[in-house]
Amino acid sequence: MTRYLSLAARLAGGVALAAVLAGPLTTAASAQTNLSNAQILQGLTATTNDEPTVTAKLLRQMVEAAVAQNQPLDLNRSAIAAQLYKLAQITVQIQFALDSAIIRPESYETIGSIADALHHPILWNYHFLIVGNTDATGTRAHNLQLSQDRADAVMQALVTLYRVSPARLEAVGLGQEALQTPATPKDPINRRVQFFNIGLE
Amino acid sequence: MKRYAIGLAALLLACTAGAASAQTMSYAQAGALIAKSCGPSIDKFCSKFNLGSGQIQQCLSQHQDQVPAQCFTDYSAVVASISKRVAAQEGAFKVCGNNVRQFCTGVQPGDGNILNCLLESSKVVSGSCKQVLLDAGWQ
Repeated sequence: MTRYLSLAARLAGGVALAAVLAGPLTTAASAQTNLSNAQILQGLTATTNDEPTVTAKLLRQMVEAAVAQNQPLDLNRSAIAAQLYKLAQITVQIQFALDSAIIRPESYETIGSIADALHHPILWNYHFLIVGNTDATGTRAHNLQLSQDRADAVMQALVTLYRVSPARLEAVGLGQEALQTPATPKDPINRRVQFFNIGLE
Repeated sequence: MKRYAIGLAALLLACTAGAASAQTMSYAQAGALIAKSCGPSIDKFCSKFNLGSGQIQQCLSQHQDQVPAQCFTDYSAVVASISKRVAAQEGAFKVCGNNVRQFCTGVQPGDGNILNCLLESSKVVSGSCKQVLLDAGWQ
């Protein structure tokens, strides 16, 4: 842990770092929109050697089943949520055109800062899950597809423009099924993209 | 504590050296530059193409008479800078190979350990190694 702090402190010029954003999927804490490079790096740095077994495929199966059966996705009580909670992760706000997976130019920089972290030697052996989320405006099925398209778009930008290896990335949409603010489901803060460090392979 | 102090000294050294000859922008800066120079044109003419689709530059070219020249200059500069940075990152540990063997034997690879070691040895690391670490954005 000291090793990560010293390298991260080096990146920040020795300034004290803000708290890591690790937390449950439905935390009430607000998502930051302007993470510094050092915060992104620290947030995504794995702090355990346990091999997580969360995959995009698993998450997608769970969420598609929930939406198809019109059941709530009970992510909070599931084993998957417990695993996700333990993973190094960050949340970012990426602006998309309305009801579309087109990334707005004002978010090109944010995606670039993710690329900076993923290209850093601290993280370059690790694989990441890109999770797209929507708010509760519209239908569950539509939001599920939209969030998958958006996660795919973020992944494609990282791979094609910023040259991150696609073998390291998986994209999945959770639609409106993992709201950050379930009490205010239409709050735009729910429209967030999350990155999880899912280990070495 | 001593380890941290060495690290801080290395950072100061990197800052003074780096400011004069930083040659590749960060990926974040690259994205910001495209957004700044081409954002309004992308919104106006190419809003159905996504970043990473490989089609934005071509779309902008098709509206050459209406898009500011600065956009084309900057987009090309961004693509070149990204290529250079990626090449530096992929080649850095080969370029620094002698230094790694000399100063970092016994360091466990992975998790940035070797980079950490190189940065802490920056007073003795060779010029070409320093330069590639700078181009890689890891100084």
